[in-house]
Amino acid sequence: MTPLLEVDNLATGYGQSKVLRGVSFSVKPGEVACIMGRNGAGKTTLLRALMGVLAKTGSVRLAGEDITHWAGHRVNAAGMVWVPQEDSVFSGLTVRNHLTIAVHGRREEEEGLEAAGALFPVLGERLEQEAQTLSGGERKMLALAQALIVRPKVVLMDEPTEGVAPVVVEQLIPAIAASTKESAVVLVEQNIDTALALGQNAYLLEQGSIAVSGTVRDLHDRGVLEQRLAL
Amino acid sequence: MILGFLPVDSFNVIVLAAVFVLVATGLHFTFGMLNVVNLVHGELILIGAYTTLQVQRTTGNVLLGMALAPLAAGIVGVAMERGVLRFLYDRPLDSLLATFGLSVIIRQVVQFVFSPNPQIVRSPIGGSFLLGGFNIPWWRLIIVLVTSVLLVGVIQFLQRSRFGLHARATVANPLLAETMGINSGAMRAGLFALGSAIAGLAGAMLAPISTLNPQFGLLFLVNSFLVVIIGGKGSLRGLVVAGIVLGGTLAALQFVMSTVMAQILILAIAIIGVRVRPLLGLLREWRGRRPLGSAV
Ligand SMILES: Nc1ncnc2c1ncn2[C@@H]1O[C@H](COP(=O)(O)OP(=O)(O)OP(=O)(O)O)[C@@H](O)[C@H]1O
Ligand SMILES: [Mg+2]
Repeated sequence: MTPLLEVDNLATGYGQSKVLRGVSFSVKPGEVACIMGRNGAGKTTLLRALMGVLAKTGSVRLAGEDITHWAGHRVNAAGMVWVPQEDSVFSGLTVRNHLTIAVHGRREEEEGLEAAGALFPVLGERLEQEAQTLSGGERKMLALAQALIVRPKVVLMDEPTEGVAPVVVEQLIPAIAASTKESAVVLVEQNIDTALALGQNAYLLEQGSIAVSGTVRDLHDRGVLEQRLAL
Repeated sequence: MILGFLPVDSFNVIVLAAVFVLVATGLHFTFGMLNVVNLVHGELILIGAYTTLQVQRTTGNVLLGMALAPLAAGIVGVAMERGVLRFLYDRPLDSLLATFGLSVIIRQVVQFVFSPNPQIVRSPIGGSFLLGGFNIPWWRLIIVLVTSVLLVGVIQFLQRSRFGLHARATVANPLLAETMGINSGAMRAGLFALGSAIAGLAGAMLAPISTLNPQFGLLFLVNSFLVVIIGGKGSLRGLVVAGIVLGGTLAALQFVMSTVMAQILILAIAIIGVRVRPLLGLLREWRGRRPLGSAV
């Protein structure tokens, strides 16, 4: 099966400060690739670069198409969606507004709203609430719903379970797994249990590039994750 | 000084309120929403007025001029945004300097082409009628009506249309908007074009009730900023209230004092207004403060 996402020799950073270099990996449909690394390793930076909102060199292919130099809105339109780690809502806009923007041009609005409500019932009950007044966990659910209801080709998720209660994580995991069966998922995750539950291959970022890769299960069994992440 | 050309009667309280709202509405887009300290706003009004004048001269049709005025101002506005201002959204001081420079250039060009002499734009609908003892000029009534319709339209458009939704998202967080499929650059250009076009319309509407010269736009700049800022920058409803209060007060004050004195008093009210507003905001924040630990 050809990969949906192919990243080759990617380098990026902020102005003079280089954060990543020589990053290469690919993700097939139905696969969840875990990006791991300590705080500040560049995980969020990698997702920003893939999403087209941070300048980069190297090459990024989405379903075979070269999207390296595309602007963010084109990358999104081509089927790549992003669940940000923070700042995931527009202030002043309601939950319904957010979902409307997410499904624009992809699905019927009502259908999208129903799908979001089916994934996370709390969203269906709070459609008219301003999104910035949602609780932290609810905001995560909104960000996830926005990404998952559009049948994306590639989903970039930045610590979707960070700060979410373990009981809720238990609900999130099957929801994520069920909605991404045909997508390629790039999951930034610090929590090993979540990584084990969802992920196949893991890539460990250190010093700006991938230091170790392998299956999550294998790296976990050999204690590599625990050691490298200093858990 | 400003708008002293309006004779004093109580209908003018309404007219001046409408004028204040009309000139500030365009600035709501460029400054209120896009955060550009848009010192070229007055010259966009000027372009609207002189476009009307030029079309009146060449075709004899003032209404056609008024229809083309928003188009001309909108095109100039979007050219400035794409050409210069879009690179300066994160650099407010440079952006302020750029709009100041552009305003001087446009004023000079207008002066060069049309001379510094005062010009007259004909009112498309002249005459007046009597209502309850007041003499009401048709054109001034139309200014009030057009302003009301424009406002209802703009509020509906921003709240209900797809463009409005995407624009509000872009203004709230351009990077997030981009990753959700919104072409944030195009949205900003669109907002700037709209604000400029509305400024052009204001210039066209107001040209017949004043004498036109290259300083025409400057007259409206300060009051437009006052209205947008006191209205709570970014809030159209606040803008309407501020416009009605400031414009209405200015007109009312003209009953009892000179126009210059009235304008000075308005400025004083405005300064007190901006001094008090943040206090009110703080008060509200303090009252609504969440219990410790739940602050996000
Ligand atoms: N906007 C920015 N401008 C300049 N430097 C930045 C910016 N954002 C991040 N950095 C720097 O880039 C490096 C990588 O940051 P990044 O946010 O990608 O880390 P991360 O792996 O996601 O960390 P965490 O686990 O804490 O989320 C850090 O050293 C950070 O200080
Ligand atoms: Mg991060």
